[in-house]
Amino acid sequence: MKSALTVLKEQINHFYLIRRLSVYELISKNKSNYLGMAWEVINPAIQILIYWFVFGNIRENSAVEVSKEMEPVPFITWLVAGFVLWIFFYQSTIQGSKSIYSRLRMLSKMNFPMSIIPNYVIFSQLYIHFFLLFFIIIIFHFSGFYINIYYLQLIYFLFATLCLVFAISLITSTLSTIIRDIHMFLNSTLRMLLYLSPILWQIESIVDNPFIDKLLMLNPLYYLIEGYRSALYGIDWYFIVHWEYTLYFWALVVVLFLFGAALHVKFRRHFIDYL
Amino acid sequence: MEKAIIAKNVTKKYKLYKNTKERLLDLITPKSYGEDFYALADVNFEAEKGDIIGFIGINGSGKSTLSNIIAGIVPETAGTVKVNGQASLIAVSSGLKGDLSGRDNIELKCLMLGFSRDEIKELEPKIIEFAELERFIDQPVKSYSSGMKSRLGFAISVTVDPDILIIDEALSVGDKAFAEKSLNKMKEFKEKGKTMIFVSHSLGQMKEFCEKILWLEYGMVKDFGSVDQVLPKYEEYLREQKKLSKKERDEYREAILKKQLQLVQGIN
Repeated sequence: MKSALTVLKEQINHFYLIRRLSVYELISKNKSNYLGMAWEVINPAIQILIYWFVFGNIRENSAVEVSKEMEPVPFITWLVAGFVLWIFFYQSTIQGSKSIYSRLRMLSKMNFPMSIIPNYVIFSQLYIHFFLLFFIIIIFHFSGFYINIYYLQLIYFLFATLCLVFAISLITSTLSTIIRDIHMFLNSTLRMLLYLSPILWQIESIVDNPFIDKLLMLNPLYYLIEGYRSALYGIDWYFIVHWEYTLYFWALVVVLFLFGAALHVKFRRHFIDYL
Repeated sequence: MEKAIIAKNVTKKYKLYKNTKERLLDLITPKSYGEDFYALADVNFEAEKGDIIGFIGINGSGKSTLSNIIAGIVPETAGTVKVNGQASLIAVSSGLKGDLSGRDNIELKCLMLGFSRDEIKELEPKIIEFAELERFIDQPVKSYSSGMKSRLGFAISVTVDPDILIIDEALSVGDKAFAEKSLNKMKEFKEKGKTMIFVSHSLGQMKEFCEKILWLEYGMVKDFGSVDQVLPKYEEYLREQKKLSKKERDEYREAILKKQLQLVQGIN
């Protein structure tokens, strides 16, 4: 509990630093490419195209039913709405996990609050996410889904995603500094998670078993992605309508965060010994 | 006089593992695996404010470990280190980001040291001028020579004006002109009454610059005193070691390591 407060305080006190460092992070990552920052958009765009081609063909380009009251929506919009959140979650979790051990050599030379390292790495992904989200809103406009009041919940779901990713990164960055294999393990787990989340295919449409459906909903990404879609299609206030699910999600985040903060504070003085 | 650094019973233990299996078992089981290695054993010393202390000793005697512990980079296994003020370490590999330009690195490093944007704007030209990088300042750091890198690292560290400066062999890569310039800068610091620690194998520089010498041998303090007292003894020691045969040297080492073990057990 105490370590959770310490970590939270460090985030708030060094918010300026997090913002500035995240910009440098983004610059240094793309400096050696000729196309520079453009790769951050080209990369997901290529992925979306191939998924659209494969999974769209599998379902013979039929429309997706997102709500009982609505006409089925085109598959491509359904795909990008989920994918934009997925790519943010995936990139920031992966980068967050290796954030500490890959930067420790440079950062340990100064007295620096370690807990902001995963956070500024996550933040640098956030800029890209805003950019992609902007694109996707344009796509939605052309497809006939206009800006609506439910867009406001995008802010809530984005914040929820940040909290989840930060809590996970606190745990994985500590563990993967001590045991490098954890990062590899995370990598393969995440690849699996892509298929266990409602991003590429609609789980209800294929698995006709309410139990498995509930089981898959334990995945917090399910909540976030469905929330995003609710906002973009203007279906309902997802986090109020599914309030039990909201409670579950936040309980999970709090538990992960408490565990991650305790782990981080316990080991951070000794990180350098594990290099 | 005010104390700048107080180190009490500082011990640093590293584990030597034969393979990754041992490392993993040591991590997850309560039983201890692997061989203990003491980089520092029961080191005690105090530095007054304004002291200039040189660390000497043969390779592997724990000089760098001790300076890293004082700078707060490496945690000590046992004992306490009290440092009054901000300590800044300058080493050859002084944590610069290869992909970023020299200018970006200056900004980044100052940012992490807790300077505001305005302060950085003020410091930046001074650092660039001191580092003498000229056209290279906007090139990525990975294209720098090792001398340029250490010049940049040194320039940043001295311009941000720390209370305690620890210099770990950083001057040995620069050319003579830059070494002279750095020494002048350090003399300036000396006049300002700053505490400095100097790790080097160059006894000439030590003689010229330091006031006190801490002599480390296999992680233990062999001697601590003024330059005139300690340096002649160290020179004598080096000469004698050279004369010894391999067997005698091994015996000497055995004896010292035994003493080290006793010391460590004494404080545990």
